[in-house]
Amino acid sequence: MLIHLKGGHIVDPVNGRDETGDLWIENDRIVAAPPGKLADEVHDVSGKTVMAGAIDIHSHIAGGNVNCARLLLPEKHQNWLPNPVALPFSTAKWSTFETGTIYASMGFTTVIEPAIVPHQALQAHLELSDIPIIDKGMLTVLGNDDFLLSLLRDGEGPAAVADYVASAVAASNGLGVKCINAGGATAFKYNARTFSLDDVVPFYDLTSRQIVEALQRAVEDLKIPHPLHLHANNLGIPGNVATALATIEAARGERLHFAHLQFYSYGAEGGHGFSSAAAELAAAVNAAPNVTIDVGQVMFRQTVTVSADVLRQFNGSEMASPKKSVIHDGDGDGGGIVPYFYRENDFANAVQWACGLELFMLIDDPWRIFFTTDHPNGAPFTTYPEIFALIMSRDARAEATARLPQEAVAMTTLPSIAREYNLNEIAIMTRAAPAKLLGLKDRGHLGEGGLADIAVYSPGKDLAKMFRFAHLVFKDGDLVVRDGRGTHYRWGNALKVNPGYDKAIDRRLAGYYDHHFGNSRDLFTVKEHLLPRADAFREVACAR
Amino acid sequence: MGEARINGKPVSLAAAAERAAEILSQARMPVIAGLGTDAAGARASILLAEKLRGAYDHMHSTRIFADLDVMRQAGLMVTTPNEARLRADVFLFIGKDLTKDWPAMMERLSPAKIPPFDLVHEPRKLLWIAPGRGGAKGEGLVETLDSSDLHATLASLRARAAGRAVNCAKGTLRKLDEFAGVLKNARFGVAVWGGDGLDSLSIEMLHGLIRDLNKTTRFSGLPLGAGANASGVVQTSGWMTGFPVRTSFGRGFPEHDTWRFDATRMIESGEADTALWISAYGPEAPPWRKNIPLVALASPQTVFAWEPQVCVEIGCPGIDHDGAEFARETGSIVGSLASHRSQAPSVADVVSQISKHLGETPKC
Ligand SMILES: [Zn+2]
Repeated sequence: MLIHLKGGHIVDPVNGRDETGDLWIENDRIVAAPPGKLADEVHDVSGKTVMAGAIDIHSHIAGGNVNCARLLLPEKHQNWLPNPVALPFSTAKWSTFETGTIYASMGFTTVIEPAIVPHQALQAHLELSDIPIIDKGMLTVLGNDDFLLSLLRDGEGPAAVADYVASAVAASNGLGVKCINAGGATAFKYNARTFSLDDVVPFYDLTSRQIVEALQRAVEDLKIPHPLHLHANNLGIPGNVATALATIEAARGERLHFAHLQFYSYGAEGGHGFSSAAAELAAAVNAAPNVTIDVGQVMFRQTVTVSADVLRQFNGSEMASPKKSVIHDGDGDGGGIVPYFYRENDFANAVQWACGLELFMLIDDPWRIFFTTDHPNGAPFTTYPEIFALIMSRDARAEATARLPQEAVAMTTLPSIAREYNLNEIAIMTRAAPAKLLGLKDRGHLGEGGLADIAVYSPGKDLAKMFRFAHLVFKDGDLVVRDGRGTHYRWGNALKVNPGYDKAIDRRLAGYYDHHFGNSRDLFTVKEHLLPRADAFREVACAR
Repeated sequence: MGEARINGKPVSLAAAAERAAEILSQARMPVIAGLGTDAAGARASILLAEKLRGAYDHMHSTRIFADLDVMRQAGLMVTTPNEARLRADVFLFIGKDLTKDWPAMMERLSPAKIPPFDLVHEPRKLLWIAPGRGGAKGEGLVETLDSSDLHATLASLRARAAGRAVNCAKGTLRKLDEFAGVLKNARFGVAVWGGDGLDSLSIEMLHGLIRDLNKTTRFSGLPLGAGANASGVVQTSGWMTGFPVRTSFGRGFPEHDTWRFDATRMIESGEADTALWISAYGPEAPPWRKNIPLVALASPQTVFAWEPQVCVEIGCPGIDHDGAEFARETGSIVGSLASHRSQAPSVADVVSQISKHLGETPKC
């Protein structure tokens, strides 16, 4: 099958294209214009914007905690719309089927679930398998697990740590490693109620900093493309910018991905003891080329916070709206599910909203800042189109800012910022850079040989509409969305890495599981044949 | 192994699947009940329910919603069997059916052993409310508190733990205070509950007690849940539709209602006119008392009140075939590999075969 996209505005930063031109697709790949051949299908896309499919690096779309949130809040996702025959379950709100369908309709073709503990990996992959159209992947969460903390306490050295990390990633079929409030969930089990970078985890005599450093090093030693993905300490607390700055410093110039930075950009100034420190933090990010961040933008509406930072979630459960929450002390990391309503007229929520936008605007390099709401923690991913409008239009920001409590606005630098993202920067931030960050060479660009994951948008005054309803979307060369609506399902892969390691650690782990847990480690290994479709996975090479 | 019957007469699996599809497609409102199956079986069944515009329920819904209704009303604090085993310095067992429900519970939680993750190296304190006969025997030193009304007992215990007055006999008060003292001094206590004796009101009271205790110390819960992969089916239903079982596709999208889509109620009231009964973990028979057209995917030796129109004998996940299922041992969905691999078909196999006769549908 040969497809010709004719005369679109091609925005492909990797190949330096920002021009009117053509694009050719043969089967699942982008190809050079084949001389003398006629296309089987021609799409006139003149006046449209053509980009690679977007990639979301951090969105909680699967796993035990997310599913618990679904079950906790049935009253918040009542259905009313029958689904199109071709798309079963696609109108079932918050279902995996709806997730894939909506992402695709916005031009997203790859989405990464960032927080799966090894013992929940099978469920997570079962859920990912039921997310249609897009490719998926998940990050394996380590950093509160007894085996790792014991290795570190006993001074076993980087090789043993790397072997263990590799084995855990391989068994769970992860694409990388995430660490969530390193040591914090464990400290909470020993009744700690606050936990910072240099606090010591009881029983292990280790600081959070030491755990992060060890995991950072293991990821580098294993040549896993994605750097350690860190959810730092003290999320959401006034004055926590100090922790964020110290954490950037603690990376010591080594690669680090700092997740949902907005939630760490708070000062403690002013009458409410709560202010934006985003400008200062953005400056620190600009000065640290080893650090990448994603924003975790807040938008005003009902949502639910879903996080393995169980200590933070327990503390936050006082603020639950509606008033109910689930706190789970899991094996290693756990989780907390706390519904929350961000209100436009709430001082703190308004500051949070502004903080996210300040980070978007003040971090200079679109290769190092990633577009997220930490779905659903800052807002559901369905708000992305509105956020594109806010960062691409100073007027849209001014209009939205005018609705906020002005005493909150005064605690931020937002009104002074004139920057507007252009399409090229959007394509870097949501396509090229995520592919680079995750080591996905086959996507994020429109060059020859690349996967034909392509989003075609209809530009217009209404930027949100442009990004909500893609004109056309191709996944692996298959036209899956027309005029913002899914046409049919196809089933993508879960992307994973398979780092090499000394298998002696597996024997040691088998003994550890038998002795400690009294059950087999093999129970938790994600076996492909237990998933609903063959070829569930696609491997991403470990090499940098 | 893996016999199939139509009206009691042996037939091929293919013939049974075809006839089952015919019966189900003629229904005005079919309901899929029992649902004792692994994740793949649940998934196939929910896809089928959508195709049929029917409803689905699980045989253990009463127990499922005893816990789930509390979660949806007030929330929960829970932990895993691993954490309980390795960390709990206090166990608070509640109910008389715990070891009947989960015979391996004591071995798994090993309450008589010193918890290796505790900072203090000393034996655990073991409390048991309403142990019934035999429940608390032979596992270290267990303090017991009898109760004829669990809700009232848990309310009194919660009140005493919070330092509030309660009106009861002196002896009972002393016992309550002793229990409250142990709970408040726990470093990481775990309340273990389950069985039919605990209703939502009692569980909600217990949740209140756990929340209160967490103001000063750490305490969590370990609900034992129900059998026949109830939790695994609820999880699968959760990601596929957003809702647990007792969900219907009658209007073309999932709607959830614990009363309206109770399979037995639907059948006995006449709202549902055809049933697909699924029980892969044991020879459970449908509980309703009304003879309606029935397709059964059942364990061998199931004794039915009425012979089903179509019956297919199916294998058990983890015995006859591999499957993903929720394991009480770990508190998560794990891979269960066949211990005695056989030719008996899985629920997912049979349901998919039935589904194929119901017309082309999008590949899910
Ligand atoms: Zn997150």
